[in-house]
Amino acid sequence: MPAAIRRYIALTTKEVQQLRRNRVLLIQLMLPPTIVLIIFGFALNPKVRDLRLGIVDESLTTESRGFVDSLTQNVDFEVVGQYRRAKDAEDALRSLDLDAFIVIPADLGRGQTASVQVVVDAVDANTAQITQGYLGVALEEYNLSGGGGGGVPPEKLRAGPMLVRSAHPTPPPGVPQVRPAYIYNPGLVTTWYYVTGVMSIIMFINASLVASAFAVKEKETGTIEQLLMTPAQTGEMLLAKTSPVFVLMMVVLFAALIVGMLVFGLPVRGALWLFTVAGGFAALAGIGIGVMVATVSRSQQQAQLLTFFVNPPITLLSGATAPLDNMPEIFQKLSYIDPLRYMVTIVRGVTLKDSPWSALWPNLLALAIFSIVLFAISAWRFRKV
Amino acid sequence: MKKIMAQAWKEFMLFRRDKLLILLAVLMPIVLMSLAGGTQSLRLRNVPLLVYDYDNTPLSRTYLETYGAALTFHFTPHAPDESPESALNSWRGRAALIIPQNFERDVHRGDAPVVQLMIDATDSNAATALGNYAQALNTSFAQKSGIGRIPPKLVKMEQRLWFNPGLSNPVYFGTGALGLMLIIFPALLGALTTAKEYEMGTVIQAYASSLTAVQWILGKAILYVAIGLVDLVICFTLGLIAFGFRFPSDPTVLLVATVLYLMGGVFFGMMMGNATGNQSAAIQGVQMGSFLLSLLLSGYLFAVRNIPVQIRWISSFLPATHYIGVVRNSVLRDVGWATSFQPIVALLILAFSFFALNVIQMRKMQFKA
Repeated sequence: MPAAIRRYIALTTKEVQQLRRNRVLLIQLMLPPTIVLIIFGFALNPKVRDLRLGIVDESLTTESRGFVDSLTQNVDFEVVGQYRRAKDAEDALRSLDLDAFIVIPADLGRGQTASVQVVVDAVDANTAQITQGYLGVALEEYNLSGGGGGGVPPEKLRAGPMLVRSAHPTPPPGVPQVRPAYIYNPGLVTTWYYVTGVMSIIMFINASLVASAFAVKEKETGTIEQLLMTPAQTGEMLLAKTSPVFVLMMVVLFAALIVGMLVFGLPVRGALWLFTVAGGFAALAGIGIGVMVATVSRSQQQAQLLTFFVNPPITLLSGATAPLDNMPEIFQKLSYIDPLRYMVTIVRGVTLKDSPWSALWPNLLALAIFSIVLFAISAWRFRKV
Repeated sequence: MKKIMAQAWKEFMLFRRDKLLILLAVLMPIVLMSLAGGTQSLRLRNVPLLVYDYDNTPLSRTYLETYGAALTFHFTPHAPDESPESALNSWRGRAALIIPQNFERDVHRGDAPVVQLMIDATDSNAATALGNYAQALNTSFAQKSGIGRIPPKLVKMEQRLWFNPGLSNPVYFGTGALGLMLIIFPALLGALTTAKEYEMGTVIQAYASSLTAVQWILGKAILYVAIGLVDLVICFTLGLIAFGFRFPSDPTVLLVATVLYLMGGVFFGMMMGNATGNQSAAIQGVQMGSFLLSLLLSGYLFAVRNIPVQIRWISSFLPATHYIGVVRNSVLRDVGWATSFQPIVALLILAFSFFALNVIQMRKMQFKA
């Protein structure tokens, strides 16, 4: 056996033993994929529930009651208050007792078009847009049904996340219809999007945190001098240090995938080997960042503070929690230098989409380049420690 | 009081010497807040739409114009022989609009032709929104070109969007980001300073001195609350410039809430430091306990209401939940004490309980030592 390999095995054994003794670290590594992923999956939900709606009915007629019924039937709008004057409803909105209220004018159902006023608390722009959208659809439905139809027929309800249960109004006869087909996720399961994103985040962040802690520890305890005196090359040392972390991260990644599949019913439609290779490169990139941070810091404390500083931007720019298309131009451009972005794309491409190789290889290539460059820089910096 | 100040002064001297910490204290809020406030937008615009017009008549082109005129969509080219499935598979578009042959003829005959919109539902939230939006465009096309028999309108909607008329996302996420920024750094510093004392063994000196547990804790906390207030000024200025914050007409609400919130954060961090006695474990604890949980469950991203009941109770134990509420109340809604009273009481209770836990921890240690 060549000496280099023997040395590598010896060093790796040392690292594995050190790792095995560090129970806290092991727990920290193995818990997140299961618990955090589950919490994330359930907590990150843009679906809007139980909007609190107030009603100011100035008409007080059968028509107005029919109108209120048509708005609230089958929907997660909860009418929490009827107000006599608009002023009272405004106060309720101001003290956060309501999310929105509508004012029904006295001339509803008298032949001409009545203007129903809708006031929405728009601080949360997303919820406000959803509220607006729903009310628009409900009004349309009311108009098209000639005021007679109470509410949205149940068969047209779609348990979509955007509008609580959005229904599409039937167009009058003869008008072209647009029929949306939701491909890749016909059941519109919200969690899939977040679970795939968070899976990549957890793996990447853990890799960088652990690698930096590992790399700086020897420096802190002073045992690095001993290591440097051995015949081992710095490259071998770095490899030996990072390979247990790498193996652990791959375990974490697959644990996350299994949790995703079992708990959230995540499909795997594409090639699993692509997922594995991409995961490997992402773990390397994460380790590279961690080691790089470790080489510039003097203590574990500094190293962890720095990773704490580096990781959130990587997470936020990766498109894992919010679609990249929605970001301002400058952040979209910045996201190209975020290795996690490519990982997230590949994970989604493999699990949800079965994307063809021609669409995935640029991402894989970018990820590979990132991981090689980051790893090379960290090896070079590590030598100078 | 003198003893508390002396302890705070000692902490300040220690802090001053750590250049990295000072740099992070200033840079971290600026960088993170711009990112956390700027990137998390759920608003759709410029969604790449692939168009397959198999009719290619004046009417079908008018139909397409309805989509092209909307800011939500922008048309994106595709190869002539590429199927919509494969184009969507390769991320070349997020939706494909397919107009069937004989679209114009069917419309004139009065048969309703069916236009298909294939939407990439990987992001189901955006997909539903796109579907709904297409319905609205479809109706407006019919109305504009006078097709079909549309009954007269009984009601029309007149909407007013309060507090955030432009439906601006940065405003919402910016206020949430402010809350996140103020919990991360003070809590981290609090954790580090206490854990360090244990690691270095200097905590024994504190035991040996005439300082009581309360004095020791308060002395440490004062400095980090002060640093947090500096961060507040930095973040708020950034908010005014970049995120459309308004200066509240009654700033006392925000100020009182901030001080309580910072105290809660610092005491929580110190608690983690006390409990672990090890700097890296303390950082991890803070990262999990205050940053990650606050990021997820405080209503920064999605309303607390959306969280399933089983884990929603956690969010009432997070200072960030209450604080972000207060920030949104004063900066966006500009309502005063009356609305924010309840969250401020909650902040007070949380800060005090973290403080009490600290004192209990310290007392125990002192008996042991």
